[in-house]
Amino acid sequence: MAKIVGGFIVPHNPVMYFNPKGPSQQQSDSIYATYADMAKRIKELNADTAIIIGCDHYILYGTECLPQYVISTGEIEGPVDQLPGLKRAPIASHEALGTHISKVGFETGFDWTVGRSMNVDHSIGIPHHLMVKPNEGMKTVAVMLACGVDPYLPMKRAWELGEHIAEAVTRFSGNERIVVIGSGGISHHVGDERMGVVNPVFDKKILDAVASGDKATMLALTDEEILRDGGNGAMEIRTFTCAMAATGAHGGEVLNYEAVDSWITGMGFAELKVTEL
Amino acid sequence: MSRNSLEKVLYDLSTSGANKKMFAGDPTKFLSRYQLDDEEKAMVAGYKVREIADRGVNTMLTWGFWLQSGKENHDYLKVMKREEA
Repeated sequence: MAKIVGGFIVPHNPVMYFNPKGPSQQQSDSIYATYADMAKRIKELNADTAIIIGCDHYILYGTECLPQYVISTGEIEGPVDQLPGLKRAPIASHEALGTHISKVGFETGFDWTVGRSMNVDHSIGIPHHLMVKPNEGMKTVAVMLACGVDPYLPMKRAWELGEHIAEAVTRFSGNERIVVIGSGGISHHVGDERMGVVNPVFDKKILDAVASGDKATMLALTDEEILRDGGNGAMEIRTFTCAMAATGAHGGEVLNYEAVDSWITGMGFAELKVTEL
Repeated sequence: MSRNSLEKVLYDLSTSGANKKMFAGDPTKFLSRYQLDDEEKAMVAGYKVREIADRGVNTMLTWGFWLQSGKENHDYLKVMKREEA
């Protein structure tokens, strides 16, 4: 039986690539070291598959069609929004697992949009590049949630989706060892007049909820509160919610937090505890 | 007012090099493809990102629209803060 053996929440900040000298060297080193530690932790867990939960930034899906949640069931390629040092390329895909999860969803009330040859953006590309790719042979399932463009995926539905992913994994016939990665920034404002403002108080509230497996706090957050205190970019915490649910909401450990004004984002990292059956 | 059509034109410009080239070469012709009124077309042609955002357009798009033209980020922030560039 396939198992979820680990989980993480991480940022996916493209400004790291565009403006590498923005923060202090110490801050930058600290962030990259945390990504490297997570890659090592994935190796320690003997994981062979990553389910990376990202979100579109009005890059992949336009006004013609705005899906609530998408899963890769075939090839994956990206990031389509190439970054300095991170070029668009094929990403090794676990097609069978993505297909299985989608089929379980169709039977149980989760009408996935599927990407049979799926392009992803930096929300998948960055954690893949820094955490998954260093572990040779790993495959990925890409999940994209509607966090950047309205209508947003409700937080409650993000939680339910995570539980569904967990349940579907237990029904997969393989012996995969899977890590779930919720990919998103905490407070950040993308393109609005508050761009560059980071709110460590809001960020701590979110990281505390993640570390304690606090479903009630996460689901009590309204969109108005998130937009007010965290900004439009903070809507990405839906990916944390989904990852928390997928790993059973056993809490976890905050590994790092940096409020990086020059990278316009509160960047939080945590490992999610998983209780193996 | 068509927030949807404004978002569509900005999305098309942010995701297609061919569209960017067409817009740069002849904005009037390019914008005639979209269901925008004259005021909206003028806002897009004039990079009036503050006014466009005030109409509810996603600011990920207004920011990308500004940057794809080669304009500076600090000028964008001035405009969005109504300080003007």
